[in-house]
Amino acid sequence: MAGGNVIVIGEAGKGQTESANARLIAIGDQLAEHGGGKLVCLLAGQDIGAKAAELSHYVDEIRISDSVQHAHYDPEALLRMAEQLVDELQPRAVLLGHTFMGMDLAPRLAAKLRVGVASNCFAIRIEDDAVYFMRPMYRGRVHAKVTMDSTPMVATLQLGGPEPPLSNRAGEVKKIDLKPAESRRIRPLRTIEPVRTGIDITKADIVVSGGRGVGEKENFALVNDLAEALGGVPACSRPLVDMGWFSTSLQVGLSGNTVKPKLYIACGISGAVEHLHGMKESRIIVAINKDPDAPIFKVAHYGVVGDLNEIMPQLTRKVRECRSQK
Amino acid sequence: MNIVTFVKHVPASAVTPKISASGTRIEEDGLSYEVNETDLYALEEALYQRSLHKGSVTAVTVGPVRAKDALYVAYAKGVDHAIHVIDEALRGTNPSFNVRAGAEVLKQLRPDIVFAGIQADDDLQGQFGVALADAVSLPVITAVSEVRIDPAKRIVTVIRELGAGFKEELEADLPCLLTVQFGIRLLRYTSVMSIVKARSRKIESLRGDAQPFALQERPASSHLRVVELSYPSNRGNCELVTGSAEEAAGKLVRKLVDGGVV
Repeated sequence: MAGGNVIVIGEAGKGQTESANARLIAIGDQLAEHGGGKLVCLLAGQDIGAKAAELSHYVDEIRISDSVQHAHYDPEALLRMAEQLVDELQPRAVLLGHTFMGMDLAPRLAAKLRVGVASNCFAIRIEDDAVYFMRPMYRGRVHAKVTMDSTPMVATLQLGGPEPPLSNRAGEVKKIDLKPAESRRIRPLRTIEPVRTGIDITKADIVVSGGRGVGEKENFALVNDLAEALGGVPACSRPLVDMGWFSTSLQVGLSGNTVKPKLYIACGISGAVEHLHGMKESRIIVAINKDPDAPIFKVAHYGVVGDLNEIMPQLTRKVRECRSQK
Repeated sequence: MNIVTFVKHVPASAVTPKISASGTRIEEDGLSYEVNETDLYALEEALYQRSLHKGSVTAVTVGPVRAKDALYVAYAKGVDHAIHVIDEALRGTNPSFNVRAGAEVLKQLRPDIVFAGIQADDDLQGQFGVALADAVSLPVITAVSEVRIDPAKRIVTVIRELGAGFKEELEADLPCLLTVQFGIRLLRYTSVMSIVKARSRKIESLRGDAQPFALQERPASSHLRVVELSYPSNRGNCELVTGSAEEAAGKLVRKLVDGGVV
């Protein structure tokens, strides 16, 4: 029987998703308390002392590797540290963010430890002594309650949720000495920063976003027109970037930008899990889609089921009328 | 260049599958299937690399008999060989069986580079490529969006995504495995006729239950167990705005005005 310790693998530094840390700590804390163990955070990066000090208030212990070796994400180095820590603490769970680091590292760790992994979890349920994770399947059209028959449980958690309340902890910060690997079959060369062009969709109050359902590129004018009428900005989902229409700077979602506008209008976007990551915390979400079963309607506040070509011009006209009366 | 690419046959993503009476799996009856989307991107990248470096591309799938359709699509797109590990018992849904089957195939083929999609649209786990690489001790890089192979130096240089528009450049020794992100190449259109014609191509079949690795496998040993499936509830309590396009637009604008956002 393993102990009740919980390891959370935090994120800090260039190209990492620090917003994942809040959820990790909140859920990690819940699991550690349930198991009567310690909550320990593993953090690797370069110049991350301040971030470690900040996180130490929320955990019992923080293990930090602050080194030029972590200037770029190095999966093999981080894997060795995580394995070492698992070996020492024998935790019941290892939690990571459902970020590009977590999605990479969690299956690596699970494979090494010969245990299962539940990725993309949006909730955890503790029922008596059993721990269940809630996660999407079938492109988010079905939710699964899953459990793991192996220890430690390895899981990646979706971002979001409130900041954890400041606890009275003063977690000790311990430095890890990571010895260089004998042979490195994967060698990180550089981190490439995003090119920011023109519109910053993350700062807009109103975002009108088009997806695959827009059809032809000329049809994107419908999205532009509505955005303009509303005084907002146009954005898009991943397929339009993949088709070469737009750059990542206009993309909403896990691999693009996270937006939290007052109004988000999703046009012809089915609502793949990765897209929802980037917009589900918008204040009012409107979805326009011809598929009434599209997962986007599960997070939307208002929905219109129908043809974009018919609805959007009408919507733009009504918005213009309404705003001209003000 | 000996290239292998993995494809998974998954339920069509545009349809919500029906949950079975047991509540722990989906009904297969009446479901239509397609090639997992990121596996199609992996396939395009494999074929592109063959165009640069010559050699051959072998497509591999693990799944029930119907999964051979995924290999016909791969043939129609231009692969040279196709291998099907037929798994009627677990129907391609057991991650550790899939990895063992894939590992067995890789041991026989000894590829220079292996491609797989970053995640499967059905289980959304994103685990297969990484676990497979571990099983055959290959280096693996995930979420790859650009690939440059240097066959002389036996090195591959890749760009991978880090999220929020950040990317990372890394190099790895060959042989290695890359999991491919959406959009790495444009997906070429495949005509129905070309898929029909591909049905005359030979698929090498291995019976999953007859393989040495099958003997060690028990259905329960996937470590991750689905206790219950459900349909997502309407978190936003989505209010559907109905009527003609004009009526719906008018109602929606009034709601947005009331909500203080217009």
